Amino acid sequence: MEPESQITKRREFYGKRAIDGQALKKLIEASLIWLRTNQEIVNALNVFPVPDGDTGTNMVLTMQAAYDEIQNSGDSNFGKMIHGVAHGALMGARGNSGVILSQIWRGFARCVGESETLDGETFVRALSEARHTAYKGVVRPVEGTILTVIKDAAIAAEDALSETGNPILLLEKVISAADESVEHTPELLDVLKEAGVVDAGGKGLYYILEGMLRYIDGLPLDTSLTTVQPLSSLVLDNSLESIEAGQDWEVIVDFRSQGAIDMVNFYNDLENMGTSIQFGEGDGIYRLHIHVPNENYYAPEDYIKNLGIVTKVAKENLVDQMERQTNGCLEQEPEIMPLEPGKIGVIAVVPGSGIARIFASMGVAAIVKGGQTMNPSTEEIIREIDKLPTDNVIILPNNKNIFMAAKTAAEFSAKNVTVIPSRTIPQGLSAMLCLVPDGDIEIVVSDMQAALEDVETGEITTATRTVELDGVKANKGDIIGLLNGKMVVSSHRLDQACLELLNFAHADHFEIITLFYGKDVTVQEALQMQDTVRSAFPEQEVEIHEGCQPHYHFIVSIE
Amino acid sequence: MPTAIVTDSTADIPLEIAQELNIHIVPNILILDGKEYADGIDISRHEFYERLPYLQIPPTTATASSGTYNRLFEELIRLGFNQIISIHVSKRFSGVFNAVSVAAQPFGGRIHVIDSQQVTLGLGFQVCDAAEAAQSDAPLEVILNRIKGVRSRVRVFAMLDTLEFLHRSGRVSWARARIGNLLRVKPFIEVKDGQAKRIADVRTRRKGFERLLSLLKNLGPLEKLALLHSNAENEAEKLLEAYNTKLPSNPFIINVTTTIGTHVGPNGLGFAAVVKTL
Repeated sequence: MEPESQITKRREFYGKRAIDGQALKKLIEASLIWLRTNQEIVNALNVFPVPDGDTGTNMVLTMQAAYDEIQNSGDSNFGKMIHGVAHGALMGARGNSGVILSQIWRGFARCVGESETLDGETFVRALSEARHTAYKGVVRPVEGTILTVIKDAAIAAEDALSETGNPILLLEKVISAADESVEHTPELLDVLKEAGVVDAGGKGLYYILEGMLRYIDGLPLDTSLTTVQPLSSLVLDNSLESIEAGQDWEVIVDFRSQGAIDMVNFYNDLENMGTSIQFGEGDGIYRLHIHVPNENYYAPEDYIKNLGIVTKVAKENLVDQMERQTNGCLEQEPEIMPLEPGKIGVIAVVPGSGIARIFASMGVAAIVKGGQTMNPSTEEIIREIDKLPTDNVIILPNNKNIFMAAKTAAEFSAKNVTVIPSRTIPQGLSAMLCLVPDGDIEIVVSDMQAALEDVETGEITTATRTVELDGVKANKGDIIGLLNGKMVVSSHRLDQACLELLNFAHADHFEIITLFYGKDVTVQEALQMQDTVRSAFPEQEVEIHEGCQPHYHFIVSIE
Repeated sequence: MPTAIVTDSTADIPLEIAQELNIHIVPNILILDGKEYADGIDISRHEFYERLPYLQIPPTTATASSGTYNRLFEELIRLGFNQIISIHVSKRFSGVFNAVSVAAQPFGGRIHVIDSQQVTLGLGFQVCDAAEAAQSDAPLEVILNRIKGVRSRVRVFAMLDTLEFLHRSGRVSWARARIGNLLRVKPFIEVKDGQAKRIADVRTRRKGFERLLSLLKNLGPLEKLALLHSNAENEAEKLLEAYNTKLPSNPFIINVTTTIGTHVGPNGLGFAAVVKTL
């Protein structure tokens, strides 16, 4: 903790009616750190109980890009710095929440203009502009999302201005309003209520604002040292692309503590033992998760025994897990035929190397991998657009959370770029079939749009929490099936879930069923599934392909 | 001065029409398991398409020799024809045009060898129109112009059941060069300017059928129509039924020549249509 005097000085500083560029930099850094600390809490607020909830990570990466843009600048001009933040956020925006966040910064910056400093009044006006810009950036604004939170925050700021011009007091009012607004989102959006969560994007925005105040008040931002996360937010799946050197075992120790735990020493001791430390609390027990090398095989449980009563120890061999997972899924670059200059170039965003290979075989001009959250940044997409030797470019996002970043990239580019709104991989493949590289761009675009409707998409994954949606109940750990984005089946068994999904989709009325198997499915399992499906649907052709996607055991296309 | 019209069997002209219009058709040669068959004569098309997927060695096609054409031309001249127009399948698909050009050389300009830039009834319709004009004793120039006219108004589209046969035959560059389409697709082609152009793919026959129907309807009023298939007669009939539009002449339903079928494979479906002059 910082000395009292330093905190008081800081409150005085920000309480002055003017904040400059360097002060802003500190605030942005604080927002970033606090958001990152609470990243998993936001990630866990995914409406669907699917493992690719990544609003938290997307917003962190967006804020990181914003901070990176101004990190090395010594400029004290607030206007210049906030524009830097907005530009960084724009380029680094990932996921729809990241893009909307970048629009918030953009609106804010536009209102501030070139002002040297920010005072209370400008803060209020800028928040209002931020809100309007955010709403304008969305084709169909939905209440009960980050939009509502920025709106409520802006309104609260306007109201508070009549009482005070002190930026800190205004910020406090704004944060309080944001908090209430976030808690209120389930009342505005049914799916949130059904799923029992608040809106993830809104929560992320709240943390961004709260981080600034915590910094001003001298409160710690790196909370992992002083508080404990809820058990449900621990990320325990080791879907790493590579394990850290020297880590051989994943160890999870559940225990009941015999007294308060000295968190600082606790973490220090654990850091000497291994990596990937996570510590959670819930239902009267504490859970420690850590990766250790062979020689520390017993170290975590021995250490914990001194702190409390160990109730359970689970260990998994990381190397073996890694080898089983890697499958045939080599992370090699797919063979892409170079685009002939002037022809229509298609850029596809893909979640796995197998799927990348399929798009490559169909003549795609460039592949964008989503990265850690499967959502690429605006900049990554722009880069691919620029590299193509043509002015006519088509983007297939293949995921509704990538659509906005793709649109932003398209608008930013001077080339003639069209985004075909493919929401799933099967839709993207269906659109690819319509590609005629030397055809008329307008006809190809129109054909691709129409082709999106030609295919039904199924997704099979494991439920990350117990939930009831649209009348379908799933327990955490059950295999769930989504049809065109809606959860329709739930089962204890993978094969049963697949068959039920196909039955629900009336697959017997279609011609081809295609199964793209994910990273965690072996070839044998995939072949078995193909046989199972073939027996159940003898009139249909059943194809399997290696997809190598994470999280989804199977992506199914029915056409 | 009567003009004789000659073509090869890739024109797919029904026998009765050929006889009625006095068209001389020279059969191409199909080489199957080492034996030679005259296209449409020695082996039925239906039988050919049944056997096609099981053949160990892919069948090859050959043109009738220059000698065969040479003898035909001599015979025609002996019968009293002063001019002969010999119209053939696109140079790109077959060596027949070259073979006939060689055969025509000794005849001092009386034989006009024409590259139709088309195939199957895309070629056949040009031939029929020429033959009609020849029967009413139109002068050479007129006949040649009419051929050009039909060529500019004929549209040929087809859906192949698989890329396999095209790939094997090596006749079409884009089918040779593919890096291995991982998803099994049914290619769509248009025959235009003497080439087979790939115009997108489909995955299912249903979608392919819809697309063919839509292409057909978008052509507007037609003078002539032929539904083409390779052992997919039911579907061809369904397509005609779905098109459901009155035509000035009876549409043909044709099981295409083996010389095309070899490269296209069974279960192909398409059409050749002559759009009405405006």
